[in-house]
Amino acid sequence: MEGLSQRPVRLVVRDDLKRDRLTVFFRLILAVPLLLWVTLRGIAAFVVGFVNWLAVLVQREVPESTHDFVANYVRYSTQVSAYVFLAANPYPWFRYQSGYPVDVHIDPPVQQGRWGGFFRLVLAIPAVLLAAALGSGFATTTPGQGSFASNGNENEAVWWSVSSFGGVAAACAVLAWFFIVARGRAPRGLRDLVAFALGYGAQAAAYLFLLTPRYPTSDPALAEPYSKLPRHPVRAVVTDDLERPRLTVFFRLFLAIPHFVWILLWTVAVFFVGFIAWIVALVLGRLPLPLHRFFGAYIRYATHLVAFVYLVGRRFPGFTGREGSYGIDVTIDPPERQKRLTILFRGILVFPAFIVAGTLGSVALVIGLLAWWYALVRARMPEGMRNLGVTSLRYSAQTYAYSLLVTGRYPHASPVLRDPGPGPEPRPNFAPPRPAVGDTF
Amino acid sequence: MYPTAVPGDLSLPHVDVDAVFGADFVDRAKRYERFFYVDWVLAQIALFVTLWIYARRGAVFARESSAGPIGTGMLLGMLGLAIAWLVHVPFALASHWWQRRWDQNDLSYLDWLFEDWALLAAEFLSICVALLIVMGLARWLGERWWLPGAGVFVGIAALFSFAAPYLYYSTTPLEQKPLLEAASTYERKLGLGHIPLRVEEVSADTDQANAFAFGLGPSRRVVFWDTILEPPFTEAEQRVVLAHELAHHSQRHLPKGIGWFALFAIPGAWILMRATRGRGGMGEPTSVPLALFVVAVLQLATAPVSSAISRRMEAEADWKALTVTHDPAALEGLMVEFSKTGLGDPDPPFISQLVFGTHPTLADRVAMARAFADRR
Repeated sequence: MEGLSQRPVRLVVRDDLKRDRLTVFFRLILAVPLLLWVTLRGIAAFVVGFVNWLAVLVQREVPESTHDFVANYVRYSTQVSAYVFLAANPYPWFRYQSGYPVDVHIDPPVQQGRWGGFFRLVLAIPAVLLAAALGSGFATTTPGQGSFASNGNENEAVWWSVSSFGGVAAACAVLAWFFIVARGRAPRGLRDLVAFALGYGAQAAAYLFLLTPRYPTSDPALAEPYSKLPRHPVRAVVTDDLERPRLTVFFRLFLAIPHFVWILLWTVAVFFVGFIAWIVALVLGRLPLPLHRFFGAYIRYATHLVAFVYLVGRRFPGFTGREGSYGIDVTIDPPERQKRLTILFRGILVFPAFIVAGTLGSVALVIGLLAWWYALVRARMPEGMRNLGVTSLRYSAQTYAYSLLVTGRYPHASPVLRDPGPGPEPRPNFAPPRPAVGDTF
Repeated sequence: MYPTAVPGDLSLPHVDVDAVFGADFVDRAKRYERFFYVDWVLAQIALFVTLWIYARRGAVFARESSAGPIGTGMLLGMLGLAIAWLVHVPFALASHWWQRRWDQNDLSYLDWLFEDWALLAAEFLSICVALLIVMGLARWLGERWWLPGAGVFVGIAALFSFAAPYLYYSTTPLEQKPLLEAASTYERKLGLGHIPLRVEEVSADTDQANAFAFGLGPSRRVVFWDTILEPPFTEAEQRVVLAHELAHHSQRHLPKGIGWFALFAIPGAWILMRATRGRGGMGEPTSVPLALFVVAVLQLATAPVSSAISRRMEAEADWKALTVTHDPAALEGLMVEFSKTGLGDPDPPFISQLVFGTHPTLADRVAMARAFADRR
């Protein structure tokens, strides 16, 4: 992963997580004028974006004036989105503010290739799809809609709106709203995840409007400057490479068929055992080791399988969910005591996490679809997509571990895969590559 | 399993196919069918070359597995199937193009491409189950796996034959009263209990006509395609079809088929064991690509024998149908209609009949009807 400073579009987060309950309570109503204004500016940006396109075709570079106009729009729409999605507290007003807690830095114009410029609208489709799945402000307020609508294809415009409303940022904002109204501060994990989604949306917008020739990266490492990964009993470990042989890519879904049958049977068993485990855990105050192992193996196996299906993992997984047997793996700490009250209400408490896991699952699905085409052509998986897929799988594993009483720790939504800062127990989640270990099945 | 109700001294008279089916039609049918022979031969060559290369080099795909030996074997088996499917696609496409050109198939290319995905998925699952059994037994019993392995497959075949009618849910009960009445008569004459008669709707997809018998014991059924219950097929011809399918049950052709399968499966499993011995036996995943090649060779090698067995059973069912309906003219008319609806060559080349001929040729079936008439 290249250094963050090398990226032409960078998200800067200076937010202190404090929120004003009153403005949060009425956030959507307060944001209505901003949304109208950003939509109008979006239409203008789209027109200027067309000028940028012509400029790249003629002189291979966007004029500074039009570059700044569109860049200011991207920055402003990101700030408005941050406000709407509760990733920032101050009212952004009606123009771009340089000191806003969630901001975007965009480099000055550079020379671009004509072919890349000519096909920009097509080339940007995967990035826009991923941005929509992440539910970033770009997708919800965008000129992208204007462009579809202006082509008279209103159905597609509606589809875009719907898809982006179901995105990660929107789901996180809804959940954060309850948390903030109760506690007066934003939950860090959800805030970081929203900020990451907005950052990706800004990259996608900048690429689409020809502010930069650099393709957006979805690598969660981009969130490292502002996000911290706290230690969690359920952690992702990546030892996989990025190669994806075309034959196994083309038939990926078919190759997973025996696994689909197997996981269906295993899930039925988990459903019944889960109920027994809940009663036992209520009595003991912790999950007995055999049940902990059983659920742990199930969670690992499900993670291996989904990683394989969505091309996040390269190899055909084993059937037992053994730790260390797959390139995209999950390590789970031994059982610990849990509060009986949280055990009693676990089914309710886990509900918000399942919402976030569901939206992250849709991101993983989009990654799988895009990566399938990419890997068929290049026989490789883009590193950024792979890592974002791991983030999604890790959150899902943490959610299932919490729901199955494997851990009492709530899932953490931070997108980063490793904690760069010093901590009491630094654990490198990227283990050194090693040969695939055979399973016993 | 081998005895048949067809009289041993029955001699089939010569049938002038041009006179019965029409010279122009026979010529058209031969031109139509010739393409499929060439297409099939080319497809087989491509398949065997591919499987041979896969048998030699396919083991490298083991590095794409993080599963254990059996899981890796499954992966190699599925990849072999996937490669075979990819190789088969252009030939199947050519075949489909030819059918459309001769108005024998209305399916669009897009529909054609996607119609068999479910079947392919089922094949992937089947090969995984087969490898799970074979490799599991081979890892447990070593080289002695072949005998119990063959037994397990025969058991699965019997189980599937029994269960298939219950899984085949897209049929409705037959409602034609004359046929239902005829069924009661034929069941009594053939010494059968009640056999449920069902109808499958296929007329939206094809004009071809067919009927079949399946199931074992209490699951026995006869299914008619709805295309055979409509004109140009007459009521008398439909009764012959009904009697033919009931005869399959009365002559116990399905259990006999399982018995024949057992006779092939046991030596087949032994050959497989011997062929893969050099690679560590069927317990090793690297043997799987070679095993696929061996199975393909065995299938091709035994095709003439299995076709001959099938033809013998079909001839017996025809004869029994004649003995209960006493209507050779209806059987002859039925064969003429069959050839027209499917543009089937009434008298295909010997080699083609040897390999593909699961039924006697239409000319032979007409000859049997005439031989029956002569005997009366």
